[in-house]
Amino acid sequence: MLEIRNLHVTVDGKEILKGIDLDVAAGEVHAIMGPNGSGKSTLSYVLAGREGYEVTEGSILFNGQDLREMGVDERAAAGIFLAFQYPLEIPGVTTMTFLKTALNAQRKARGEEELDAVRFLKLVREKAKPLNVNDEMLKRALNVGYSGGEKKRAEVLQMSLLEPSLAVLDETDSGLDIDALKTVAEGVNAMRSPERSMIVITHYQRLLDYIVPDVVHVLSGGRIVKTGGKELALELEKSGYAAYGADAA
Amino acid sequence: MNEVMTEKAAQNFIDAYESARTVLPGADGWLARRRAAAIEAFAGAGLPHRRLEEWKYTDLRQTLDKAGFAPAPEHKGAVVLPETASASAFSALDRHVLVFVNGRYRADLSKAARLPKGVELRGLADVLTEQWAKDLLERRFDEARQAEQVVDLNTALMSDGMCLRIRKGVKLDKPVHLLFFAADDGASHTRNLVLLEEGAEGTILESHVGEAASFADIVTDVVLGNGARLDHVKLQDESANAVHLATLRGEVGAEARLSSFTLTLGCGVSRGQSFIRFAGEGAEAQVNGAYALRATQHADQFCVVDHAVPRCASNTVFKGVLDGQSEGVFQGKVIVRPDAQKTDGRQMTQALLLSRDAAMNAKPELEIYADDVQCAHGSTVGELSKDALFYLRSRGIPEAEARRLLVLAFLDDVIALAPHEEAREILRGLVSGWFEEASI
Repeated sequence: MLEIRNLHVTVDGKEILKGIDLDVAAGEVHAIMGPNGSGKSTLSYVLAGREGYEVTEGSILFNGQDLREMGVDERAAAGIFLAFQYPLEIPGVTTMTFLKTALNAQRKARGEEELDAVRFLKLVREKAKPLNVNDEMLKRALNVGYSGGEKKRAEVLQMSLLEPSLAVLDETDSGLDIDALKTVAEGVNAMRSPERSMIVITHYQRLLDYIVPDVVHVLSGGRIVKTGGKELALELEKSGYAAYGADAA
Repeated sequence: MNEVMTEKAAQNFIDAYESARTVLPGADGWLARRRAAAIEAFAGAGLPHRRLEEWKYTDLRQTLDKAGFAPAPEHKGAVVLPETASASAFSALDRHVLVFVNGRYRADLSKAARLPKGVELRGLADVLTEQWAKDLLERRFDEARQAEQVVDLNTALMSDGMCLRIRKGVKLDKPVHLLFFAADDGASHTRNLVLLEEGAEGTILESHVGEAASFADIVTDVVLGNGARLDHVKLQDESANAVHLATLRGEVGAEARLSSFTLTLGCGVSRGQSFIRFAGEGAEAQVNGAYALRATQHADQFCVVDHAVPRCASNTVFKGVLDGQSEGVFQGKVIVRPDAQKTDGRQMTQALLLSRDAAMNAKPELEIYADDVQCAHGSTVGELSKDALFYLRSRGIPEAEARRLLVLAFLDDVIALAPHEEAREILRGLVSGWFEEASI
């Protein structure tokens, strides 16, 4: 699914990722843990194609396609989804309009038939219900006035509707209380399938109690310094990141 | 000959007056004298130029000198409207429609039959012998006399216009739609008179379209009696070679409400100016607008609201998007007179620059002489948020569509202030359509 080789990334002239190798096979859930400033968010933005994140060396292949050749929306249509750590507020665009525009844009890009209003509404309600997203929330401007938990639930709703093959969850646990975390994790877990891969980026082990990864990587100083099974997360919880050359815990 | 008289465009207007004065409406009565005084005053002042504070960002004199408009011919034959969304805007609505071609009323193309009792809707020439029309034409709307030069020009040369009078307590059954179509090159001068008596209600929709090199000079004088209510929606979308100069002067009586909204898709140079004065307590004025400009279009919005009496509320919001090398201007002033306690006066202008070469000049002002008031003004100029664009694109929305969504969202809250619900939806559609043609 995803093959990253010797990836070097520069932001504002400063090298943040210094040679990342990462293979994520279909159906696997990889957790990327690391202290603040280790390059976790940079990795997620590079995968999504954000402007200003320059790949200076190495390669990223997604299902055999070179991601560097693809625009942000092309990557999305190809099946990459980034759940934002801080979802943006978009005044004037209702969540419903946004979801419909996004889904139909992706369907169109893939040569599939666009959904009409009736079929779309049925689908979105079906996906929204388990996430406790009601019609009133869908009619509001996207993320405007949403609580932290509502924003994250809305992100998972987008993911559930767009059905990506690779979901990257950037600090999805930040700002969530335990109940909200459970709801979000259930939403994510419901999407686990042999065809879908996930990269769960988190500072804390807590989220991984609910979204149990197959592989855990420790990112520090722009490199993956250790890779292990899910037990690695528990170790980190006890020992902190100090052993990996970082001060922050 | 003084310096002003040598100005080419001003001289053209003076010449036009000389050759037309015997055939202009009202040539045999009080109006002839009024016109003579107006042209004399205009000749003394000349056309507005940038050295005047209220014309700081729009040099009308230079614009008209360069364009050299001759009087637009009278157009008698069949007309073919451009096949644009703007030209057919409002046409699906149930409405009375008055068509003006080259600034002149065309009864044969209009449809305003079966008006409710107490509603009069006529061409300018028809009402000049009536006292109410004379009163409106002689009324001093703007104490600061900021519109004087252009109103003098209009008074001297006005050849036609729409006159709407709604009697006490009468409600207009459906909107009056004024469709102004510039079929041929040249200048036209239009004067609209609107009188809503106590408790009367009405809606005016106004569209200005055309592909000619036209100069439209329109003055609309509005008097709202106590408790009257006027909703006004204007659309302006003319050619890159056109110049549009519209002046709205309004006097709003006690507990009356004026709600005016303008969508400016522009032309070469356009200036929309509003001068609103409260004449009675508890009145409200909404003077709002949206604009979308591209290429080398220049659009100037100028608005003065005069709180001459206590307990009135005014709100002015203009929001626009500027692409290409276009230029936007907003100048506004809220004046609160010493006695106008409990005034609520608000003014906001926001612009979104879609190109590095576009420019916006904004100058909102408050002039407050009372102490128990709530007034606010603000101005922002910005670009589309890169983060928001990235967020939308990361969900698979192509860049052009993401930009369109964000721009429509930016304009949506001001369009929501347009008073007529169906018209509002039409304006939304026009802005969306504007985007599809956009080169961004």
